[in-house]
Amino acid sequence: MKLDASQPLEYRTEENQLKILGFWIFLGAEIVLFATLFTVYFVLENGTGNGPTGKDIFQISGVLWETFILLSSSFTIGIAIHAMRMGMKKAMMTMMTITLLLGLAFLGIEIYEFFHYVHAGAAITTSGFTSALLTLLGTHGAHVTFGLFWGLAILLQVKKHGLNTHTANKSFIFSLYWHFLDVVWIFIFSFVYLKGLM
Amino acid sequence: MAKLFPKEHIIGFLSSIALTIAALMVLYLDVSFAVKMTILLVTAGLQASLQLILFMHIGESKEKGTLYTNIIYALFVAVVTIFGSLFVLVWDWY
Amino acid sequence: MKWDEFFVLGDPMIYGAMVSIVAASMAIVVGLTYFKKWRWLRDEWLTTVDHKRIGIMYIICALLMLFRGGVDGLLMRGQLAMPENGFLDAQHYNEIFTTHGVIMILFMAMPFIIGLMNIVIPLQIGARDVAFPYLNAVSFWLFFAGAMLFNISFVIGGSPDAGWSAYFPLASTEFSPSVGNNYYAIAIQIAGIGTLMTGINFIVTILKMRAPGMTLLKMPMFTWSILITNVIIVFAFPVLTVALALMTLDRLFGTHFFSMTDGGMDMLWANLFWVWGHPEVYIVILPAFGIFSEVISTFSKKNLFGYKSMVASMVAISALSFLVWVHHFYTMGQGALSNSFFSITTMLIAVPTGVKIFNWLLTMYKGKIQFTTPMMYALGFIPIFTFGGITGVMLAMASADYQYHNTMFLVAHFHYVLIPGTVFGVLAGFYYWWPKIFGFMLDDKQGKRAFWWIAISFNVTFLPLFALGLKGMTRRTYTYSEESGFGPLNLLASIGSVGLAIGFILLVYNIYWSFRYAPRLNGNNDPWDARTLEWATHTPVPAYNFAITPEVSSVDTLWDEKLGKHKIFKGKLEEIHMPNTSFMPFWMAIAFFFWGFFMVFSWWIPAIIAVIPIVYFLFARSFSNDHGFHISAKELEEEEKKLRGETK
Repeated sequence: MKLDASQPLEYRTEENQLKILGFWIFLGAEIVLFATLFTVYFVLENGTGNGPTGKDIFQISGVLWETFILLSSSFTIGIAIHAMRMGMKKAMMTMMTITLLLGLAFLGIEIYEFFHYVHAGAAITTSGFTSALLTLLGTHGAHVTFGLFWGLAILLQVKKHGLNTHTANKSFIFSLYWHFLDVVWIFIFSFVYLKGLM
Repeated sequence: MAKLFPKEHIIGFLSSIALTIAALMVLYLDVSFAVKMTILLVTAGLQASLQLILFMHIGESKEKGTLYTNIIYALFVAVVTIFGSLFVLVWDWY
Repeated sequence: MKWDEFFVLGDPMIYGAMVSIVAASMAIVVGLTYFKKWRWLRDEWLTTVDHKRIGIMYIICALLMLFRGGVDGLLMRGQLAMPENGFLDAQHYNEIFTTHGVIMILFMAMPFIIGLMNIVIPLQIGARDVAFPYLNAVSFWLFFAGAMLFNISFVIGGSPDAGWSAYFPLASTEFSPSVGNNYYAIAIQIAGIGTLMTGINFIVTILKMRAPGMTLLKMPMFTWSILITNVIIVFAFPVLTVALALMTLDRLFGTHFFSMTDGGMDMLWANLFWVWGHPEVYIVILPAFGIFSEVISTFSKKNLFGYKSMVASMVAISALSFLVWVHHFYTMGQGALSNSFFSITTMLIAVPTGVKIFNWLLTMYKGKIQFTTPMMYALGFIPIFTFGGITGVMLAMASADYQYHNTMFLVAHFHYVLIPGTVFGVLAGFYYWWPKIFGFMLDDKQGKRAFWWIAISFNVTFLPLFALGLKGMTRRTYTYSEESGFGPLNLLASIGSVGLAIGFILLVYNIYWSFRYAPRLNGNNDPWDARTLEWATHTPVPAYNFAITPEVSSVDTLWDEKLGKHKIFKGKLEEIHMPNTSFMPFWMAIAFFFWGFFMVFSWWIPAIIAVIPIVYFLFARSFSNDHGFHISAKELEEEEKKLRGETK
């Protein structure tokens, strides 16, 4: 295995570089996936049928909490990778744990929000609008949920094996995923909630 | 501690908070729909680039040409899908 | 649910199919046991991560699906041969044209192309394997699970019957109450996830694993076409993923995406389907363009004319392919402005395609043309495809399309592009690369005989449909009256379809005969006197592909070596890193199959149970430390000697 010591750990082997590039291309596909869900949402936005509209059910306070929590978690995972590159295993693990806890908090608020919607008469089967809204939010939420388990699995591996080319590569790829989910959320925040409320 | 929190990450984080608050202003400003949408597009676009460049380090490896091409192609398909569908199914629909 | 809803009962043909499925499965089990081949099956095939073996499995599946889809086609032509024929009823006819379309595009054309690219691409770029061999196996087995799930629909639960495009509201539970369309939504989803991963895998492989010296503009044209194809796959398939997921939600959970009440929009389905569907057309046609470029260049003994314009036109097609989807539904109700826009973008595609046609013609100009079987397919492709392309430009005119749309004219058009394009393309590739895979050639005389049967019968089958369409015969109708006057031309088309069937039988016989009797190549690595890297290594290819990393001088690097201008293998033998085999992709796909099956029937608790092994396999992979193994330089030398026939 060729090693290039001038690179950070996660790039150091050829296999690692392939994985990072592959994951970026996967994120390209994810951009199109979410764009399609946004397409569906924008087309069906006014198809509220007999159900409520966005203005009726959106509550800005919960959404703001979600936004700040996710932004913070994006910051902490960034710090985690920075710590990893300096070989600070403990700081890296602390930051990653904080990230996952913030992710959990985000999910908690989102689930609470879903209960609120259903309570306000906006279940997934109510109208074209609610179907599109809850599927878009749900897909993002499912990504976050998957990320929590994935992050936990990586955290355990870092704990067990320390920082080596494999664990560093996995952690870096996870950080890309997590930042990406934050980007998607920013678009949901702007073009679902703020646009719906204004 | 200062070593653990590099300047660009702090700046990135604070700007993302600031941009979020700027976007929030669309709920309180008394301007036209078009201006509000422009504000949202600009703030969201800036936030996304912030994440991409400062946090995801898109430009750090020698593959950056490929990575930018990949993201631009994805955005091309995304924009075409969103606005093309809206064009056909909403704006130009009888 | 009662048994008569679970199994499809009451039709003698379906009983026959059930009996033959059970008999064939038993024959396979008995055969494997009798010849003691279970271990061989497991070690060499089910657990393999070798791109060549995965490619072969893809092609075997594609050929089986070609048979299945072909029988569907013959049944349709049988029904339409006479006016007011009672061979099939309306429901059966609907099911058959639906499965014919889905199978031919998604389970025949796609795996055939993916199979060829699996076999050829790493060899052509001088790599030892694809970027992610394990993921490659996952892709294949997911495709396999999806294909099998789709195919059992006709004996268990009933086939989908809303057309391969499954338009709403016809595909909704209201108008298609059987589970058929659930199969459509879920089986294609499973196969589609596999395809998406293939796309990522091959982009990374081509971008990062090329032999030293092979810059982007020194890649062979087939590699270029596959790169562009995979770019389209990666950016188009997520749209299908979402569309199918929403269809599943609508059908199984009562959401309102595509419903006509409560704010849903049925046209949204057609829109999303074709946002994916049109790029999909280029996914199946571009690789064929790549294959023809290789074949025409090899058998004209000239380098490809206009290499850079070829690349540029493919890049242009990849972008344009995302800008034309509305031409599939001009008559749906959008305004004249959008129709005009998409009319123009559609016609624009004819420009880069025309550039390619001229390039092929000019490659042949003043060349020493050898009329081999693959070259015959390439030569047949050019005029027939041009015919299909020109009728495509006719259909592209939105106002004129109000006349053509939904008639047999359209059916004739897309068969005229897909058969000479995709089918001739993959058959040319199949004949061309066959000796590389198996170490002997398919008999040329028999191959040409099959070609003439296929090419002539194809025109007899589909040329009459243009006329029928212009006379007003609509597609997807299971019968027509005698007074309509459609009878004679339909009979002619049906006779042609029998000829097509004979052509394919001759092709299969060609394979069988050559397996038994064709002379073996015995160390002749380059039977076609070809130009690119895949012909520089041993035949059959060893697991590690190249003992020494090749070095590339130009697009036709092997030709350069033949002219004495270049030496491909300069280095010395070094240790090679190889990936380990794994059973996990296979078992994961089995779990996906059962998950899909339970979802189709809305059996939630079994479906949730089936998710558990999938999640287990994902995390088991994350925690496993699978770093492959090494072949030492010494072992390599022994192996190479054996391959050169120096030792026994």
